[in-house]
Amino acid sequence: MELFLESGYTSLNKKGEELCGDKVEQINCNGYTTLVLADGLGSGVKANILATLTSKILCTMVSNNIDMEECVSTVVQTLPVCKVRQVAYATFSVIHINEQGEGYLFEFDNPEAILIRNGKCTDFDRKEYNILGKKVYGTRLRLRAEDYIVLMSDGVIHAGIGMLLNFGWLRKDVMEHLDRNLKPGMSARGVACMLAGACNDLYLGKPGDDTTVAVLRVREKYPVRIMVGPPVEKDKDDFYVERFLSGEGKKIVCGGTSSQVVARYLGEKVNASFEFPDKDVPPIGYINGIDLTTEGVLTLRKLLELSEIYLSNSDLTPKRSNKKDGASLLANMLFEDATHVTFFVGQSINAAHQGLPIDITMKLKLVESISNNLKLMGKVVELNYD
Amino acid sequence: MVKVTVCIGSSCHLKGSRQIVEELQYLINKNNLGDYVDLGGTFCMGKCGSDGVSVTVDGDYYALKPENVMDFFSDVIVKKIPQ
Repeated sequence: MELFLESGYTSLNKKGEELCGDKVEQINCNGYTTLVLADGLGSGVKANILATLTSKILCTMVSNNIDMEECVSTVVQTLPVCKVRQVAYATFSVIHINEQGEGYLFEFDNPEAILIRNGKCTDFDRKEYNILGKKVYGTRLRLRAEDYIVLMSDGVIHAGIGMLLNFGWLRKDVMEHLDRNLKPGMSARGVACMLAGACNDLYLGKPGDDTTVAVLRVREKYPVRIMVGPPVEKDKDDFYVERFLSGEGKKIVCGGTSSQVVARYLGEKVNASFEFPDKDVPPIGYINGIDLTTEGVLTLRKLLELSEIYLSNSDLTPKRSNKKDGASLLANMLFEDATHVTFFVGQSINAAHQGLPIDITMKLKLVESISNNLKLMGKVVELNYD
Repeated sequence: MVKVTVCIGSSCHLKGSRQIVEELQYLINKNNLGDYVDLGGTFCMGKCGSDGVSVTVDGDYYALKPENVMDFFSDVIVKKIPQ
């Protein structure tokens, strides 16, 4: 079975710093995903430069299948030496893995990565290597669906040190926290955000160190098909609806007219709900056989806003929304659940909408921006214009 | 039972259908007419061009503006309720 790799990270900057001294870098190439988390010595500009160099070098080299030893020695020999401390130093964790869940992980001086399997945290079986006097730990990976790897910078296990906790948050506390708060089906981004949020709480909102959590999740494919707007050729409605419905995956219909077209094809009725959980988003509807039915342009506009927030790597609001408005429900299905999103965009013009801020150009622009953001989230996006 | 349907499509939403729905719900409750008026929503009725939010009362079409809801309630809806 072909699996899908999903990743996401959240970074907190040390209080008062504009730049983060942690850096996450990812490259997807030749069926392999390479994910690097580097933590530069110190904080601010210097740390940021060290982390950026380290993560870029490692990510590029590893994704080109250069072996661990050569990668690490390159980094060790290239990094600029800090004048104050007389060392060149960035800690790092690197994952290199393919879509069958096979690959390797190697770590240098970052807190040990955590493997979450069957909803429980465990340790990796690490092997020690000595490269130019540095102790590097390597692990062969054979992951299964619903495994997560949690990488973190030391800001995570130091959270709360000298403030709420005497010795900071120990790794076993982090594991306990994950065990307790992990919900089945949580996205990689969701897990990273949840853990970073807990650190931020322990730091009382003022992180004493740059704190980064990067998560890689192995999962099964979850396709979603979404129809936005009726097709231009009215007499071919049935053809287009049939094509939309025939594919595998969850079905979403956005738009009043589209939902009527789909309902007619299915021999069903559209039942509009009458609740306004959010004053900016019109109510959703229900059609038997369709997983979610919403209004069109206004809901999509809100969805675009939500996608910008979702993509922010410093935003700590939970990634899965509890809200019940059309845009939030869409966001959960598209951002959190989906791995593949296929759009069916009808370009029929609703004459009555022209001139209003809901006309066809607006709709097409929204779809384009949303699909770009979905790609940034790592989804496989396909657009069909009818 | 009088069936009142308010359009909640994009165009009517922009013209204030949410306000109309909330005000009608309020008026129906205030006058204890919950057993006589059945309020419902629908997606686009295809009359986005009209000057106001699309509303039907027992199938008759009206274009309603939010500021006229009170009058509409007493002049149209209440009069349809069998005495």
